[in-house]
Amino acid sequence: MRLRDAVIRRPAVVALLLCNMLLAPGVTAVWLNLPASGTKCVSEEIQPNVVVLADYAVVHEGPADGLPIISAKVTSPYGNTLHHKEHVTAGQFAFTTTESGNYLACFWIDSGDKSVGASVSLDWKIGIAAKDWDSVAKKDKIEGVELELTKLEAAVQAIHANLLYLKSREAEMREVSEKTNARVAWFSIMSLSVCIVVSILQLWHLKGYFQKKKLI
Amino acid sequence: METRRRSIGLAEVFLIVGLLATVPCRLSALSVTVNDVECVYEFVLYEGDTVSGNFVVVDHDIFWNSDHPGIDLVVTSPAGNTVHSLKGTSGDKFEFKAPRGGMYKFCFHNPNRTPETVSFYIHVGHIPNEHDLAKDEHLNPINVKIAELREALESVTAEQRYLKAREVRHRHTNESTRRRLTFYTLTEYLVLACASGLQVVYIRRLFNKSVAYNRV
Repeated sequence: MRLRDAVIRRPAVVALLLCNMLLAPGVTAVWLNLPASGTKCVSEEIQPNVVVLADYAVVHEGPADGLPIISAKVTSPYGNTLHHKEHVTAGQFAFTTTESGNYLACFWIDSGDKSVGASVSLDWKIGIAAKDWDSVAKKDKIEGVELELTKLEAAVQAIHANLLYLKSREAEMREVSEKTNARVAWFSIMSLSVCIVVSILQLWHLKGYFQKKKLI
Repeated sequence: METRRRSIGLAEVFLIVGLLATVPCRLSALSVTVNDVECVYEFVLYEGDTVSGNFVVVDHDIFWNSDHPGIDLVVTSPAGNTVHSLKGTSGDKFEFKAPRGGMYKFCFHNPNRTPETVSFYIHVGHIPNEHDLAKDEHLNPINVKIAELREALESVTAEQRYLKAREVRHRHTNESTRRRLTFYTLTEYLVLACASGLQVVYIRRLFNKSVAYNRV
């Protein structure tokens, strides 16, 4: 079973790389429709120190020679350009995030045929999904069921980390809520006292004014 | 689509099946800005695959009041009929069994004029069944169990993504409440002080000499 697995895995590994370029745009990717003019952007809110791996390719839709040319640009939340390619039909980019925020990937059509849109397949993976399992398998010499279970273990660890993150965010939000609640009470009491103080000042001022005018 | 599938040979079909047993179908939660209608496409390889996902409308500074129509989601199968639809929500989960393989269209519709950002996540999960086991002798029942386990972990991860996105939205609301509270309270105090000052000025004017001479 192991030898057979090893024999079938090697061409599968090679085919995986080929498939990613030829067949897979459309297997594990989301497709976007680019308008004939204008930019289509997708974004994601990412934490720092997360690996981002993405593949994009224009999809064959009509005649094979009429493939639209697109440009792609990826920007960080602070405005730095992480990837910029013009006049391509496919490409890929990978980076590790340094700041927390919204990472934006924009695509637009470059070719002269402005009347027709284009379809771009984008395979965007971050964090645990971007891990290169083939190199891990080769390095640790694990394969088959053991590799699958290792992947599942990594997924469980990611779930655990996410849960802790959600818990800490919920704690922060609860603090904000409780502070707001305390402030509402405090501001209402202060508003009532401002009302009373202002009316006392009014009465005191008017009394003095009428006494000065000898009206009372 | 049909021409593309026919050009894939039998060996590649087995490779795809082998790949699917090793490469989890997985996406990241991308955000897209919906002006009127935004469609994303997702390819489902097998009939009977469970397509699950969620979407949350990320709030900006404009907050929805109770009569906001919300965002609609319509999922269309490759044959053109609507498989799933959700109307007027600020975010929800969805899950359906794909009636056939092919390209599924997920359309977000924004009935309002202000553009909204929708963060969505779509996952296509395949569990090898007896038919796949019979076709490919390299799959044994343990792969089925591993696939089920992977799908279960995937659903936990998807739930966490949904919770994270809803938490972001909730946090926006909370912080806006806090900001608005401070702003409105200070404005209220100012308005109160100005109103009472104007009252005093008006009463003084009522009683000043040139007017009172003819009255009192």
